[in-house]
Amino acid sequence: MSLLQVQKVSKLFGSLVAVNDVSMTVEPGELRAVIGPNGAGKTTFFNLITGFFRPTSGKIVFNGDDITALLPARRVWRGIARTFQITEVFPELTVHENLRIPVEVASGFRLQPWLSRDDDAKVRARVAELLQMGGLSDKAPRLVGELAHGDQRSTEIMMAIALNPRLLLLDEPTAGMGEQETFEIIQLIRRLHKDSKLTIVLIEHDMRVVFHLADRIMVLDQGKFLAEGTPQEIAKNEAVQTAYLGKAA
Amino acid sequence: MTQLVLFNVFNGLIIGAFYALMALGLSLILNLSGVINFAHGGFLAIGGYLAYSLVPYLGYWGALLVSPFLVAFIGILVERVLIRQLYGRDPLYSLLLTFGLAFMIEDGTRFIWGAQSLPFQIPGWLSRPLSADYFFLTGYRLFMMLLVTAVVAGLFVILNYTRLGIRIRAGTLDLETVSVLGVNVRVLRNLNFGLGIYLAGLAGVLAVGMLGLQPNIGDNLIMPSFIAIIVGGLGSLPGTLAGGILIGVVSGVTTVFLPAASEAVIYVMMAAVLIVRPRGLLGEEGRF
Amino acid sequence: MPKLDKRAGDVLIWLLLLSAPFWLPVAGSYVELGTRVVVFALAATALNFLLGYTGVLSFGHAAYFGLGAYGTALTIKLLVASTPVGMLVGVVVGTIAAAIIGLMIIRLRGVYFAMCTIAFGQVFYFIAFQWFSLTNGDDGVSAWHREPLNLGFTTIDILNSSNAFYYFVLAVFAACVAAMAFLLRSPFGRTLQAIRENERRARFLGIPVDAHIWMSWVISCFFVSVAGTLFALMNNFVDPRAMRWDQSGTFVIMTVLGGMRSFWGPLIGSAIYLVLQDYISSHTENWMSFIGLFFVLIVLFFPRGVLGLIGRKVAS
Repeated sequence: MSLLQVQKVSKLFGSLVAVNDVSMTVEPGELRAVIGPNGAGKTTFFNLITGFFRPTSGKIVFNGDDITALLPARRVWRGIARTFQITEVFPELTVHENLRIPVEVASGFRLQPWLSRDDDAKVRARVAELLQMGGLSDKAPRLVGELAHGDQRSTEIMMAIALNPRLLLLDEPTAGMGEQETFEIIQLIRRLHKDSKLTIVLIEHDMRVVFHLADRIMVLDQGKFLAEGTPQEIAKNEAVQTAYLGKAA
Repeated sequence: MTQLVLFNVFNGLIIGAFYALMALGLSLILNLSGVINFAHGGFLAIGGYLAYSLVPYLGYWGALLVSPFLVAFIGILVERVLIRQLYGRDPLYSLLLTFGLAFMIEDGTRFIWGAQSLPFQIPGWLSRPLSADYFFLTGYRLFMMLLVTAVVAGLFVILNYTRLGIRIRAGTLDLETVSVLGVNVRVLRNLNFGLGIYLAGLAGVLAVGMLGLQPNIGDNLIMPSFIAIIVGGLGSLPGTLAGGILIGVVSGVTTVFLPAASEAVIYVMMAAVLIVRPRGLLGEEGRF
Repeated sequence: MPKLDKRAGDVLIWLLLLSAPFWLPVAGSYVELGTRVVVFALAATALNFLLGYTGVLSFGHAAYFGLGAYGTALTIKLLVASTPVGMLVGVVVGTIAAAIIGLMIIRLRGVYFAMCTIAFGQVFYFIAFQWFSLTNGDDGVSAWHREPLNLGFTTIDILNSSNAFYYFVLAVFAACVAAMAFLLRSPFGRTLQAIRENERRARFLGIPVDAHIWMSWVISCFFVSVAGTLFALMNNFVDPRAMRWDQSGTFVIMTVLGGMRSFWGPLIGSAIYLVLQDYISSHTENWMSFIGLFFVLIVLFFPRGVLGLIGRKVAS
């Protein structure tokens, strides 16, 4: 069974059509990229999947269940986690605390006024594991707000991982990053995909990232579906080239 | 019986127009700058006191004309020197600042003009009833209604037909875009604040004609203004206007049937609105 | 701040609090001021639970403070002449009111939430003022007093002994403050801080934000109503001023003055504010202007508060 089925969703803001009748099916274990020129509606598309807005029409099915009407927090509980275009973390808490919170939420502890010593140890062990996975172990006691952009992004990604999601949505994970940081994020995403067998959908502008990582690519243009296929197929697709380079070509 | 009801409805309309005048000023400032001006009642008081001091020199009409502008000027200074520093920060700080200002203004007016109630004379011909049958229809009350209506109409003209007004409205919706379009946001906020304070000052001059003059005159009027905004709708000026008039009228009508509850009923209205429709009658979604 | 310094700070504060009846008179002051500081410190710490830790501003906490006070006063005067019973009633009334009101305003945020807290604060002030038959209106509830504590094997005379009353207040303070600290250090407390730091991120981690804010609100109002009960007992009197907007503002400024992001900030703020108020009002009639000016200066020049300033010094 497909993990995620987005069926002909549209989103209108007044008379502005941000997403127009787009469908997408994602199989478990895939790493799918969503690309398109600016204003193609990619982030709005993500927002529909994660429940930030309700679609004007269409259906979203996750793991066999219709989640179209579910609130964001509920979708998180079903197993959808995301990162944002502008990194959303807890700036005045430490990296350790930033990771600890989603771990506690995922373990069902968010309302608890106390933790037994065993539970506390389990939480700490899991946080240490996540820190290591994300290459953040040495930065654990530092305030996230003070870290370099790349480390903030890694923290955000690991926070999403901490929720044990079945589907991870990454919105422009390498936005605003230099060569070295981009490389490190690519490595991290690849590790997560391979080691945890996570299903990942990512929005990206950086083509190197997309071609390095993606199994399949979907292209959006001005809110509409344009093309879908393997990286090789998309690279050769003329319609895609036109969309990116402009109609003059 | 009808006379009684009419009396109270009319009274309610006047009070409501009053609340609306205060609330509109508050709302203007709140919507554009996100500042809850706790000192609004204080500016109202200053309006009244300044008018009192000006009457010997300018007569009633002169004082009525000039005082609100003076108060607005003070407001503009206050915004420039104090409030401007706080825009980027948590709304907590501007609330604390205006809170402190409210204290200073109340004490300041007490210091300058004394703690005793002062008499405020309105022109004799205004305070006479207009007809023997409708004794409650004094010239002054009618005059107040007309003036408030004119001012509110003027406000809506400003907001819809002048450059300043259009910028204020646009800024309320999206300040960032407005500044990117080249509008000087600092000046805009400053003038907007001045406009709001003008309304408070005017309300002050009108209020003292009806209620007399004492240092805490603003206290009783600021809460209904808050409620007018909550009931009428957050972020909406027409809503605030409607809210003010509505609570005034409801309060007035309640006086006929249950006098003790006439003040409480506006709080009940607020609670009802919050439960049923938190954004208020005409409020926009997502403003909060 | 390194752990050792924090521990040392805690110990120092408790030592000062425990020995206050002895060094206050030496410093030219009196025990009653210490009692007052502790009562307000409890109120401000309760507010800080919501404001500093959950990131939600309430400018109407005096309502629940006042309900705690009135509940206590009226119970002791009219029903049962017992301090614990009076306190219990006060706390129950304050907390239930807070729970109900919280449900009404929980969907609002930011300035609009704050506005509604102010408005509701005013509702209770108004009721206290108008319901003359019950509350005696502006004259307040007098002709009653705190009852000595009958523990069975002994009676603690908190009525006549200022020192005994001080220690009683301190004990209640200690219990409340310990409970709050405990909660803030738990997963629940961390979830609240997550909401403060980044509400959107908290929501997208699966945290039901509205429900958590409501819980934090109720807990905060619970402890502020406890402070209210102590306030009534302290004065053997309560009037509507306990519920007024300027009382709410006082709690906020104490919290900000001491430092919102630290646990002991409100206590420090309460001490500084009350000492200052005591001094100013004994020297001039225009103390209101000075207090107002004080608010303005704090906001403009000192927004992180005393402990915020010290924290930064340590970091550099």
